[in-house]
Amino acid sequence: MSGAAHGASHPGRAVHGDGPVIELGSVPSLGASQRRGLAGSAAAAATRRRDVAADALDGTTLLAQGLTTDPDRLTAYQHLVGAPAQDRLPAGFVHVLAFPLANALMVRDGFPLPLLGLVHLANEVTQQRPVVLGEEVDVAVHAERLTAHHRGVSVDVVAEVGVAGEPVWRGVSTYLAKGYRLDGATADRAERPEWHAPQPTGAWRLEADLGRRYAAVSGDRNPIHTSTLAAKAFGFPRTIAHGMYTAARALAHLDEPDAFTWRAEFAAPIVLPSTVSVRAGTDGPARVLDAWAKRHQLHVTVTPRG
Amino acid sequence: MAGSRRPVVVGGNRTPFARAGGAYAHVSNLDLLTAALDGLVARFGLAGERLGEVAAGAVLKHTRDFNLTREAVLGSALSNETPAYDVQMACATGMETIASIADKIRLGRLDVGVAGGVDSASDAPIVVTEQLRAALLDLNRAKTVQAKLAAVAKIRPSHLAPVAPDVAEPRTGLSMGEHQALTTAAWGISREEQDELALASHQRLAAAYDAGFFDDLVTPYRRLVRDANLRPDTSMEKLGALAPVFGKRLDTPATMTAGNSTPLTDGASTVLLADQSWAAERGLPALAEVVDLEAGAVDFVHGKDGLLLAPVHAVPRLLARHGMSLADFEIVEIHEAFAATVLATLKAWEDPDFCRDRLGRDGPLGSIDRARLNVHGSSLAAGHPFAATGGRIVATAAKELASRGSGARGLVSVCAAGGQGVVAILEAV
Repeated sequence: MSGAAHGASHPGRAVHGDGPVIELGSVPSLGASQRRGLAGSAAAAATRRRDVAADALDGTTLLAQGLTTDPDRLTAYQHLVGAPAQDRLPAGFVHVLAFPLANALMVRDGFPLPLLGLVHLANEVTQQRPVVLGEEVDVAVHAERLTAHHRGVSVDVVAEVGVAGEPVWRGVSTYLAKGYRLDGATADRAERPEWHAPQPTGAWRLEADLGRRYAAVSGDRNPIHTSTLAAKAFGFPRTIAHGMYTAARALAHLDEPDAFTWRAEFAAPIVLPSTVSVRAGTDGPARVLDAWAKRHQLHVTVTPRG
Repeated sequence: MAGSRRPVVVGGNRTPFARAGGAYAHVSNLDLLTAALDGLVARFGLAGERLGEVAAGAVLKHTRDFNLTREAVLGSALSNETPAYDVQMACATGMETIASIADKIRLGRLDVGVAGGVDSASDAPIVVTEQLRAALLDLNRAKTVQAKLAAVAKIRPSHLAPVAPDVAEPRTGLSMGEHQALTTAAWGISREEQDELALASHQRLAAAYDAGFFDDLVTPYRRLVRDANLRPDTSMEKLGALAPVFGKRLDTPATMTAGNSTPLTDGASTVLLADQSWAAERGLPALAEVVDLEAGAVDFVHGKDGLLLAPVHAVPRLLARHGMSLADFEIVEIHEAFAATVLATLKAWEDPDFCRDRLGRDGPLGSIDRARLNVHGSSLAAGHPFAATGGRIVATAAKELASRGSGARGLVSVCAAGGQGVVAILEAV
């Protein structure tokens, strides 16, 4: 990481708060961040401090400029999620580009929640126009909205991506730290409407090595996706699919538009291997996909804009 | 009113062609065809449209790609309600898709369709040996442990070597290059003539790119902007320094090199074809009418003709049907499978004895001024992803004819493995 700079140019980033802006000279290594996250999470577990102050976020923004895409990595990603191998970057691949920064943000000293064991509850991306292979992108990442949840505390990690000063993509990943309390309080359980499985339009066969394969193209090597032992340590019988893999596969299945909002709710983890039923359809202007096995696991909406 | 219908080339789109193992080493036939199709859709504002049909194909094809073209449509911005089908006629695949779509438009069965083709030597299917395949099928059918063990026991280490696709003719065992070497020797075609043709191909293709001719025919893909095989700075000296690769076992000098033969290439092409009135209603261009096509085939198995000379016979038949001669064409496109293929074709049409004995004519079919031949270069420079070549040539020729004004005619000739070929007449609208 190189020097902190207030007021540095950060194209495509909306102004939010007055926290420090730290410009990274290069994209942080995900492996190093995730190892650091592991150590930090172990330390957090040892101290057993589970109370988070509502103002615990310091407003830090991490910034990296001029990120490029390797065509072969893009192709591998597109093949894995079932997207056509166009020069247009899938919105989920832009998430992958921004992910190392989000990860670096979450392992910084002072980030109030432990990286390891965070549950990805939902993800929402708004894209103004596709990023095209060959374009350099700038990424700015910050966290906001610490929120009490009936099972812990959730936080939004926001990534904003621009091309030559033009904002093109904004992603909000909502993560839950189970067992934490916000200012000593927990929220009531939200009423979830009962869900009835509809007639499927298809099925996804998700192989046992899917976690490792998505880790290879995305760089997200969180061990709950790649190691059965680690998955068991977090209470899963086997490895679980990356939420963003299933969300990206749904986006490809629904034919990704140019400008749209793409929201994924990860209702329950998908344990690998698994064959899940899917139903693709429409709801007004939105394209909708649900996936389920015994219970509802994934709900994705893609709403074209303009 | 079928008589008033005219299938026209509205435009085309292709990927730049890459050398095998290059920029497209990790993309598939399906990826390439989808990219070419999406570029066409974007160029002519067809996103979400239901077209009459899309026809395309590939020569080197995985069994998983049994519905290659339909899958490309489903992955493209076209409406998923657009029907599609695969065609395979070796290197004439692209031409045959154009024939098929154009004929249906003329019949009134379609108003608009897309023809195209793709090939990737980088994505070639690797096949297991026949012995391993048989053992695996037995294993799959085996019900008992004993039967399964018996099936596995038949597998020998030597059966495990993968089998790469062969470009040899099944009935002769000769590769396409070795077949052409026989033709090259039979027609006495010199090394210098071949290198001159290759040089012209590179120079003309480079000039066309520099002039922006391909700006609305080619969409960059995977960071490739121009055909990777193009060597704008090649020269007779550089071409002359290359060692011969085909015909080394003949008693005549070997003249065919990597410079005057097309390399293995990856790429895809598409052509938008429509009834003239459909294009007019949408304010889209009508570059050239697809007047007619003719397929041909020769008996190369018994040495009666060269493997790649079917167009030598098909063109006179097509011309006779329309009462035309070679002089009626402003431009002639002869696919450069090898420089010597083009040169042997020209020599055959100029040869009074051949034209009398084999084509049944009173005199030569005629000669073609080199200034009219492959005016923007051809496969020696661009490369030759087998099934994509027909679409490349027809889109290029149609655009060139449109620039020359109404009535300008072009002749297109594409030879193919199996001793076949498809030729066509285009005419500027």
